[in-house]
Amino acid sequence: MSDERERSIDQATVELLEKARKEEISTVFSRADRIKPCPIGVEDSCCKVCAMGPCRLPRSKKGEQQERTGVCGATIDTIVARNFARKVAAGTASHSDHAREVVETFLKTARGEAQGFAIKDEVKLLEVALDFGIDIEGKDTTAIAIELGEKALNEFGKQHGELVYTKKAPLKRQEIWRKFGVMPRGIDREVVEIMHRTHMGVDQDYRHILLQTTRCALADGWGGSMISTDLQDIMFGTPVPVLGSINLGVLKEDQVNVIVHGHEPLLPELLVVASRDPEIKKLTEEVGAKGVNLAGMCCSANEVLMRHGIPCAGNFLQQELALVTGAVELMTVDVQCQMQGLQGVAECFHTKLITTSDRAMIEGAVHIEFHPENGLDTAKKILKMAIENYPKRRHAVYIPDHSRDIVAGFSHETINYLLGGLFRASYRPLNDNIINGRIRGVAGVVGCNNVRTIHDFAHIAMIKELIRNDVLVLTTGCAAMACGKAGLLTPEAAREYAGSGLAEVCEAVGIPPVLHMGACVDNSRILVAATAMVKEGGLGDDISDLPAAGAAPEWMSEKALAIGQYFVASGVFTVFGTTTWPTVGSENVTRHLFEDFEGMFKGTWAYEQDPVKGAQLMIRHIDKKRKALGIDKARERVLFDMAMRRAIE
Amino acid sequence: MDDYVYEEKEDSEGKKVKVLGPTYEPGKPEERDDWRAKLKTRDDMVGYLKTALRYWYSSEWYGSEKRKQEA
Repeated sequence: MSDERERSIDQATVELLEKARKEEISTVFSRADRIKPCPIGVEDSCCKVCAMGPCRLPRSKKGEQQERTGVCGATIDTIVARNFARKVAAGTASHSDHAREVVETFLKTARGEAQGFAIKDEVKLLEVALDFGIDIEGKDTTAIAIELGEKALNEFGKQHGELVYTKKAPLKRQEIWRKFGVMPRGIDREVVEIMHRTHMGVDQDYRHILLQTTRCALADGWGGSMISTDLQDIMFGTPVPVLGSINLGVLKEDQVNVIVHGHEPLLPELLVVASRDPEIKKLTEEVGAKGVNLAGMCCSANEVLMRHGIPCAGNFLQQELALVTGAVELMTVDVQCQMQGLQGVAECFHTKLITTSDRAMIEGAVHIEFHPENGLDTAKKILKMAIENYPKRRHAVYIPDHSRDIVAGFSHETINYLLGGLFRASYRPLNDNIINGRIRGVAGVVGCNNVRTIHDFAHIAMIKELIRNDVLVLTTGCAAMACGKAGLLTPEAAREYAGSGLAEVCEAVGIPPVLHMGACVDNSRILVAATAMVKEGGLGDDISDLPAAGAAPEWMSEKALAIGQYFVASGVFTVFGTTTWPTVGSENVTRHLFEDFEGMFKGTWAYEQDPVKGAQLMIRHIDKKRKALGIDKARERVLFDMAMRRAIE
Repeated sequence: MDDYVYEEKEDSEGKKVKVLGPTYEPGKPEERDDWRAKLKTRDDMVGYLKTALRYWYSSEWYGSEKRKQEA
């Protein structure tokens, strides 16, 4: 057994891992010790799409792989491209099925059929309605919302044309997508087409498979994810800066602890409402608890943190450890990134694990299905179960004394507002400070945790290196939570960790050097912010012209690959870390993604295990873009007279 | 003024200058600053979209995609 201090840079995690080890509780960390990654699976060089195989084509030391094929004649390039495509399709499907659930709830809310939900953000409703070409003149909120819901739902089953949100992208970017035939038509169609093309004996040219992979990923970023983000904002409010707290120390020994885990914020929103209900408060007092302490885990945490300041218990690798405290009465899970191992840990304590989505059950867990028609009743029922469970704690509670303040809630609308106020809101100050060099560039650092690397280490090492070099960081998902735990999400962090130029700007605006922009579907906010920077002017005509880069240094899920692929296809240099990259089985596929894509989409992949080296790759790319824009050197300011102004017109 | 903290920094010509240091108010905010609540009427909202998010909702702006001379 390795030293727990080598598993995570987070002290709360280390303390609970030690407790789990002493009590012989199985966690993702102990299971990872027992199961080594499959050497063939790790390079994705196995084809199992038909019953004539599986055909394994691992790389040999003699380089004979290129001559070997599967039984059907499929080359290693086809096999690796197919496997990659299917991963991206799964990631796209996940974000987009989340979106579908949100749209259906949104429509029921607009029609008055959803209990406890409302249209809370009329400004955002109008904004998105205009995106969808809805005439808002003379229509009330309900009529606009119903029309918007129906149009948004149509984006999933659309067969032809272009997804509505792609029109928001820079004009030059749209042309690139059309030129290579990757403009997404309908969200579901792109996923289905990948599953068809990667069936036995269909698409067998890796370049052609990767084009559809790109179209599918774009249907995620500029489709499903963007719809999720926007409609959630309309129902629950567009995030504005909010003070919250993070890490397992947010759990309270003398309160009923309820953790919301997963990704869809629908039920969690109602749990927030229900936790303030007088009946719930009274029941809590009756069992001798001082209140209901609602806390979040993974991206559900990001959602309720950004909109309500609900404390965040931790990120992906901490989900089982939250239960190891012995202080959690109940955990709800909906979809994505919730480990089956949770049930085993819950059984070691009094904790009830509740599955709430009709798409996801866990053997042994209690299933209480969420439906928007009676959502608030369901939320109250769940809280009552938690309260009843409070007196049943049967182990000594151990809550690590580690939590930190954070500021979250930087939607792209809020960044725009913070940079200019209500009357002069604009990305101009950001662009100006990039042009004058105070800010070197912008980086999106996002993604998961991965137990094959040290928990949170790569996120923090990479981000510290970036902000030290005056790169403003936008973050989402588990990366954002890692930043919170490391103290990077407060305005004071600028002075402590950022380079002098970035610190000056952060202090002037009053923002942290790392901006928490939400959950993993909210990477769409980064796309929109980047587009606004382009459209504001002075930094080129396309996202690929910006001094900007992206990264997922601890990626783990198929969703991360979909996100990476849509960032690359949107023109972003994107660095992935951890211990492997899923196309290493084919040199051609890897070269195509890592080199040829740069010529086609002006964005490309990179893979670097060392997070500091990864950050340096990003900074080199940012500097290359600064040079191309001619802003790499300080220039004398020229005061234009009228004649000079006329000349430029 | 005496309560303020000053710092010595270099200006653009390298000369030492005294600048005002951080002026954070002590304590933590008790409620979030919901700037969107300032937009009360439909006209306010549409007006804000046309100015603040002019990139998508107005023709009255001059950014990279609207300049008169190609870069």
